[in-house]
Amino acid sequence: MPIIETQAIHKIYPNGVHANDDINFEVEHGEIHALVGENGAGKTTLMKLIFGMEHPTSGRILFRGEEVEIENPQDAIEHGIGMVHQNFMLVNSFSVAQNIILNRETMQGISIDMQQAIDDTAALSQEYGLAVNPTAKIEDIPVGMRQRVEILKALYRGAEILILDEPTAVLTPSETQDLFAAVRNLVEGGKTVIFITHKLKEVIAISDRVTVMRDARVIGTVKTAETDERELARMMVGREVFMQVDRPPVERGGSVLEVSDLTYADDSGHQLLKHISFHVYENEILGIAGVEGNGQTELAEVLTGLRPPTTGEAFINEEQILGRGPRSVREHQVAHIPEDRLTNGVALASTIDDNLIIDRYYREPFTRRGLLDINAIEDNGRELIREFNIIAPSGAIPVNALSGGNMQKVVVARELSSSPKLLIAAQPTRGVDIGAIEFIHQELVDQRTNGLAILLISADLQEVMKLSDRIMVMYEGEIVGVFPNDDSLTEERIGYYMLGAERQDAAEMERYA
Amino acid sequence: MTAFRTHLLLILGGLSGLAVTLFITNTMFDGSIEKMSATPTWQNVVLVNVLIGACIFLFVVELRRGAIRVLLTVVVALILGFLVTFVFNLDSSLRFTRGEFRVQVVSEAEALDVDGVDLEYNRVRGGHFNKPNVVEPVSEVAWSFAGGEGDVVSLLAYAKNKRSSVDPLVELRDESGAVLASATSATVAQVEERFDDLVRVTDAVIADFQLPADGTYTLYARPEELATGTIMTEAFQQTNVAFEALLLGPIQRVNRWGAWIQDAITLILIGLSFAIVFRAEQFSLGAEGQLYFGALVSGAIALNSPNVPSILIIPIILLASGTAGFIYGLIPGALKAYLGANELVSTLMLNVIATGFFDMVLYFQLRPIDSAYVATGKFPANTVLPVIVERTQVTIAVFLVAIVVFFCWLLIRRTPLGYEIRIIGSNLKFADYGGVNSRRTIMLSMALSGVVAGFAGMHLANGIYRELILDLSLALAFEGVVVALLARLNVLVVPFAGLLYSYLRVGAQFMERDANASFELVRMIQAIIILLITAEALVTIFQGRQKRADIDEKGHAVEALEAGDV
Repeated sequence: MPIIETQAIHKIYPNGVHANDDINFEVEHGEIHALVGENGAGKTTLMKLIFGMEHPTSGRILFRGEEVEIENPQDAIEHGIGMVHQNFMLVNSFSVAQNIILNRETMQGISIDMQQAIDDTAALSQEYGLAVNPTAKIEDIPVGMRQRVEILKALYRGAEILILDEPTAVLTPSETQDLFAAVRNLVEGGKTVIFITHKLKEVIAISDRVTVMRDARVIGTVKTAETDERELARMMVGREVFMQVDRPPVERGGSVLEVSDLTYADDSGHQLLKHISFHVYENEILGIAGVEGNGQTELAEVLTGLRPPTTGEAFINEEQILGRGPRSVREHQVAHIPEDRLTNGVALASTIDDNLIIDRYYREPFTRRGLLDINAIEDNGRELIREFNIIAPSGAIPVNALSGGNMQKVVVARELSSSPKLLIAAQPTRGVDIGAIEFIHQELVDQRTNGLAILLISADLQEVMKLSDRIMVMYEGEIVGVFPNDDSLTEERIGYYMLGAERQDAAEMERYA
Repeated sequence: MTAFRTHLLLILGGLSGLAVTLFITNTMFDGSIEKMSATPTWQNVVLVNVLIGACIFLFVVELRRGAIRVLLTVVVALILGFLVTFVFNLDSSLRFTRGEFRVQVVSEAEALDVDGVDLEYNRVRGGHFNKPNVVEPVSEVAWSFAGGEGDVVSLLAYAKNKRSSVDPLVELRDESGAVLASATSATVAQVEERFDDLVRVTDAVIADFQLPADGTYTLYARPEELATGTIMTEAFQQTNVAFEALLLGPIQRVNRWGAWIQDAITLILIGLSFAIVFRAEQFSLGAEGQLYFGALVSGAIALNSPNVPSILIIPIILLASGTAGFIYGLIPGALKAYLGANELVSTLMLNVIATGFFDMVLYFQLRPIDSAYVATGKFPANTVLPVIVERTQVTIAVFLVAIVVFFCWLLIRRTPLGYEIRIIGSNLKFADYGGVNSRRTIMLSMALSGVVAGFAGMHLANGIYRELILDLSLALAFEGVVVALLARLNVLVVPFAGLLYSYLRVGAQFMERDANASFELVRMIQAIIILLITAEALVTIFQGRQKRADIDEKGHAVEALEAGDV
């Protein structure tokens, strides 16, 4: 008997969106069940229904063979369902133990029995092999540990079924390995795990069975042992997907960007970038690997003029570009795909047309004699929508009517159409579905083959390794290693550098800088 | 959108505009061509009405489906207002049937001595009609009295005191019950001179009736309303009258129409001013202060230029008022852009400074020394905006507004600066990322909105009051916020919003005047309308926010929204 089962579930949102269409989904007791699908396929909606955050329009949810009505997450928790969200729901200023016992406190008179909480946490941590420090504050611990706290929190509440929503998105390769070990431990201890992801490698590595969703429907459930990445990708996208990017070898050209001894400290004096120097050349993708929060964001923002550097310079064709704001950098033919496209890359309420001219509206042909030329703006929009295959009825609709992948295409279209010499691409495929990832990757490689210099910043190590000609690793605001991306380079090796376990000396770094 | 739908929209907008133009013109002149052509400057009236039609056209074309929602909101608000008025009238109708009263038979004749009658001549009796919360309330009374043939009697039924609103009628009946005489009211002379006991003319008096024979007669009294119709229909009729005044009052006569137009001009200008800053997501409420500065500068120039020809001085005044507004908007703009001062606080403080400064200059400098009022006295005629419709204060400001609307549209939709304003309003971080100089844009958006507010001040000073007075704006500036919100911050819809809103404002005045609706009631109805309109506008704005928040979270709904759109 499946531990949890949904029968003919439909979910239609009030705005008419049919997010789940006749979903029959079952999870056996004690298995690791992967749920895969592109963004918007309805995975998260389904999990929200099971976790009581949404209610099905029709259909039944069965728990151990009995129909249940899950009104809210509280109900779900009582049924032994726990969910670890993509965005952690922890109180940053509380300790690990405080977070775990939150709302389930053992009282000692009118105060909380903290010693009990710490002991409970330590015991639970021991039992499931999820190492945490019970007394550390959440804001002081790394992302991987925060995730373990989330899992422990769910276990403390008696979870039998754990839903993990894209748990590896924020982890380094070795942290991912730790997580997988912990998940296997959990299953051995009799728990059931539902693992939501869109990374097929992980599906193959960890799961017992896979359910693939596409366009709000279940496409199929298969045993992991009987399938491979290629088949899963085809089920997800509905067509053959080329997982490999065709990256023809080219000779790199002259230096486009020279960064020299760049340092940046934030307002409170934290040194976020320390003496960074490197070059990016024509016909080259330089990938920056690193666990998020090690200065990559700041590096991109300093180089694009969004933040002034504390010291140091950056040159494009011998001209210093920093310190005069983003427009001056852009006028030196630097394009920028920002890390967080919803915050920085688009104006959601504005039209696609308007979003496509932010870097050029003040120049001819968009502005003539002090007035905007609406025709030129519309033509620009129409052309880019066609060229970059943005799925939109016209350029006059607001960007917030687009899917995540198409929003990213708007950003990519604008940045690549500005005829740049240098492209700074930060997390260019984050949260984008497979079809769009494929497109964006190919576009980046093609541009590089045609001469563009690209600085690629990505938390997804596989992406960095797939696209880059050279890889630079950042750790705590410093460059700790530079490698040519050849066959001898492995994820494990880079992983050591990413975690600060190894670093090259100056001479070694010089070799490939 | 397909070409067909675009054309349909244009036609629909055009027809709505035409219909409104015709309706207003028709109502103003009672549908009579003679009456129209007998009105001086009728051509200009028609011209302004055509402009009103154009505003309707823009409203329909710009808001599309949103237009229906705005209209529905107004209709719902009016229905609610109607219900409130009705209930209020219901209650006030009840007042006339409730309360303490007195009756008397006044006569100088000798009273007959008959046993078993209720009243003697000149004896006062009374009671309480429809006393609330009583088991058996009295709704009518009959008192018998004895009278001799030829006795001249006057029968009185009247409220006990001024506080009671009861409105009685009185009848004289003979023994068989036939009505010999009846009355519902008294004349002023009777109240003031003859019968001291009477309170007001609604009291009933049958005066100097000569009794036909000896016998017992009956004085019969009851509250008047119950006789003429139910309270419901009475209240309904009163409400109808009130709403007719509200809905048609502003276009029934040329001078009332003029009051509407001149009020609308001020509101449109202030609404435009708010629409510009709100577009840039700057919550500046500085229009009030900018308006005062605009008015002060125009007034000062007007008072000192009695001999300059109009054609020269009026553009100068216009320019000066705009500049004053620009500078007074630049101040909070710079404070925000370079020092991070919250614009809400800084503009409110600057408003206080501006009104204070205005009052001070008015009191100590501009006021004639011998004047008993704090006012400058009327401006020289050459500095007053020329009136284009006689018997009104509708001035060339009508054309000024049309031009300002056009330039605001040009600014927002067709200039690089307007693009910057729209983008920083949509996402400031995106603007910075794209290289927009957002400090400059924030500053200019606030300063340019000040220009328009300055014009509004000039219109108040040189168009409406023709002098500077204290409390020039009467907090009118803040009503501009409602106008801007109602127009969804769309400068092309602001004229419609201003016209609609001031129509309701002016209509409410006529409601109070014509239909005797109390001032509090009128304010209440106005508040209901504003509340619903702004709530609806805010709902739309918040829905936009919500949508963005949803995407931030995950973006599912939007995915499929796109699927629906494609």
